[in-house]
Amino acid sequence: MTTKSKATKKAKSSKRPRSAKAAMAVATSEQKPVKQRVAAMAEVPLAVCDSDKDLQSMLTVLTNKDEPIEVRLAALQSLQAASFSVIAFESCRSDYIAALRKVATDPDPELRQRVLGILAREKDGYAQKKLLEGLQKPEKALVPPEKALQLLSYDIHAEAYPVARAIVNKPPSDTARREALRLLAADAKSAPVFEKLLRDKDEDAEIRQISASALQGLKPDKLQQNAREILLDDSDHDEIRATSLTAITQFGDEEEVSKDEILKKKINRISKKGGSKVKQSARRFMTKYGR
Amino acid sequence: MEIASINSLSETEFESLVETIVNDPARHGQLTELLHEDHEIYDQRGAATTVRMRGWLLIGLARVGVSDEALIFVLEELDTGTDPYLVAAAAHALRAYPKPTEAFAPFLIRAINNIRFRNDPVSFEAYGEYAVDEESTNPVAELLTSLEWLESRARGVLPDLEALLDKRNGLSSSLQAQIKQTIAFIRTPDEDSGDDCCVLPAALRNKFAWNLDLRRRSDQLETTVFEDHNRDLVTFGEFFKGRPTIVVFFYTRCDNPLKCSLTITKLARTQELLKERGLIDQINTAAITYDPEFDTAERIQGYGRNRGVSFDLRHRMLRATDGIEPLRRHFKLGVNFIESLVNRHRVEAYILDHRGQVAAVFERIHWNEEDLVRQATDILQEQSVASERKTSVRKQTASPLLGTMFSIGFAFFPKCPICWAAYLSVFGIAGLEQVPYSPWLRTVFAIVMVINLASVWLRGRATGRMLGFYLVSLGATAIIVAKFRDSWAALAVIGILLTLSGSMLSALSGRKRKGVTNDGGMQIPPALRRW
Repeated sequence: MTTKSKATKKAKSSKRPRSAKAAMAVATSEQKPVKQRVAAMAEVPLAVCDSDKDLQSMLTVLTNKDEPIEVRLAALQSLQAASFSVIAFESCRSDYIAALRKVATDPDPELRQRVLGILAREKDGYAQKKLLEGLQKPEKALVPPEKALQLLSYDIHAEAYPVARAIVNKPPSDTARREALRLLAADAKSAPVFEKLLRDKDEDAEIRQISASALQGLKPDKLQQNAREILLDDSDHDEIRATSLTAITQFGDEEEVSKDEILKKKINRISKKGGSKVKQSARRFMTKYGR
Repeated sequence: MEIASINSLSETEFESLVETIVNDPARHGQLTELLHEDHEIYDQRGAATTVRMRGWLLIGLARVGVSDEALIFVLEELDTGTDPYLVAAAAHALRAYPKPTEAFAPFLIRAINNIRFRNDPVSFEAYGEYAVDEESTNPVAELLTSLEWLESRARGVLPDLEALLDKRNGLSSSLQAQIKQTIAFIRTPDEDSGDDCCVLPAALRNKFAWNLDLRRRSDQLETTVFEDHNRDLVTFGEFFKGRPTIVVFFYTRCDNPLKCSLTITKLARTQELLKERGLIDQINTAAITYDPEFDTAERIQGYGRNRGVSFDLRHRMLRATDGIEPLRRHFKLGVNFIESLVNRHRVEAYILDHRGQVAAVFERIHWNEEDLVRQATDILQEQSVASERKTSVRKQTASPLLGTMFSIGFAFFPKCPICWAAYLSVFGIAGLEQVPYSPWLRTVFAIVMVINLASVWLRGRATGRMLGFYLVSLGATAIIVAKFRDSWAALAVIGILLTLSGSMLSALSGRKRKGVTNDGGMQIPPALRRW
């Protein structure tokens, strides 16, 4: 055999994927270097649930605080990928959820946040309880308040509305306030708050846009009414007028809007003299409702 | 601690309350009371808290034993539950029912199939505890243990259990081993227990019907305004009166596919059945949202349409424009809220009669569309029977009047042709002087009077109310006695009045009531008498 063909063979064999068993052995071995283990973890998702032994080894890596964090995060990613195949993962789910709950209070913030995210998407009561506890008693918080609110918003039944309202009234940060408002977008009782924010010209444009979007879900009639008033008010900001125009163009009552001559006249003027953003929306409106 | 004032309890206080109840045998019934969804203890609690509380109550039942009244709550969770903790707790509690019955097996196997893809670890060790280790239990393990408890009574579900052993079903090896063990337990031959096959205890039927005269009036809802799926407004009186209505409750944000989504799908199937039987124009259907603030007309229409509901003026999906509270009070809905959001509800379907009164309710366990239509048809027929009864009441009123007329005739019949002439001269204006004196008429009047007396007696015997007969007898005696002397004529008037009142009383009095019955003809347990 020539040197060249030997080299080709070697190259081929090095590219051949190793067996899942071999990858699992590397992934769960404390003796192997971190880099190798992380790479092996990426190869094992399909095999994670093949045997109880493999599953337990992976869960041990995930829950063991003495393991390098890179390896633990890779183990979590591998397990999460395996869980997408709901039927194949059925036999592993119970142990997986128990392990996630254990890691939800881990000292590593990234791992904690990712685990809480997975549990929150499963509408897990334990995760919701921990997240709410953190919002009520910041010293117990496992994740920043904005993240906790975002994770709680996966489940409308997570009893997060009262806490979110409290945060809107006394926000620890602007981001937390924004997330609290996003969460309240499904809370029918919060419609008046959104109406007030939408009309507040001193309010941040993003907050006003969140409010418009929330009102569309909660009280579409109120949004239409407010959007009309914003459009007729020349002193309001272009960004919000563009949002209002989109709301009326897309969701307005066609019959009512086409009869509203005052509004049509105003939008016609905006389409000629307004800022670039609002001009574009006004043209779309005029295309739909004519001149 | 009074149960009526516990809506502000903290979860720790709730845990102590349950402990107190469990330790006091005289209060064990309170565990069942606390399981009613509309109990104020769930008011303004979140769904997760409600789950923890109800789960702990079920664990409490497992400790003290499950009564007939509590069993329906356990079976409801197995039938429609999707929360791992509640399903596991219900399976655990079922084993505390004193008598294992074959009818439980389908509930258990159905619950396994419903929960197996959410077979999360659960812990019963302490209130609100979430399992974080391998020593915990899980819903499927608890359900299998309950099937083992049924022993040979679970034979009917053996094929379903065997199917779970299929490798492709992917249950963990420990659960596979448990299934094998359960199958072995079920196959063990045993002595005949003498149980009634497949029948749930009588007090557990999920359907209750009320007699026409015992239904709660719907007057206070008469002007309640609803907006329908087309945004048209209609009042309760306009829509629900005039013909029977099948009513179900739902809300579009319900995340349990075995509750609202299935209820609306079943309503669509019910409409199909009504069409097949030519009843679609005689029986209305309505689906009312528990969450009128969020469920706009567009949302409910989309929700219904996606599940096959047909719409027209007699078949609507509705939202109460002024909120759900008046309906909640009237129907005694099995629902509770945190602000406007539902935190827990039961499966419930109602049949209203043509007066908008609740005539029947199917609750907790899934109702069968056939049963619902059959019951609605009975209520529809009851409407035509009621109108026939009205006609018959008119006839009954006419008959005593006629009897009394003859008594008057007998009392005042002239004794001779001269008296006849004197009477006629009084009636001369009406031209009655041409009527000849007919002494045989007195005999006819006397015979009819006796016939009236006999008929009142027969009716009195049939209805169990004899007062009418006694009055008519007294009246007849007075009329006859008055005939002996002219100066006793006043007695005849008293006799006539007694006859008239006795006859009317007899005609208008109904049968004595013998109590409220459910569809099985049994007395409704006091805990279930809600209307």
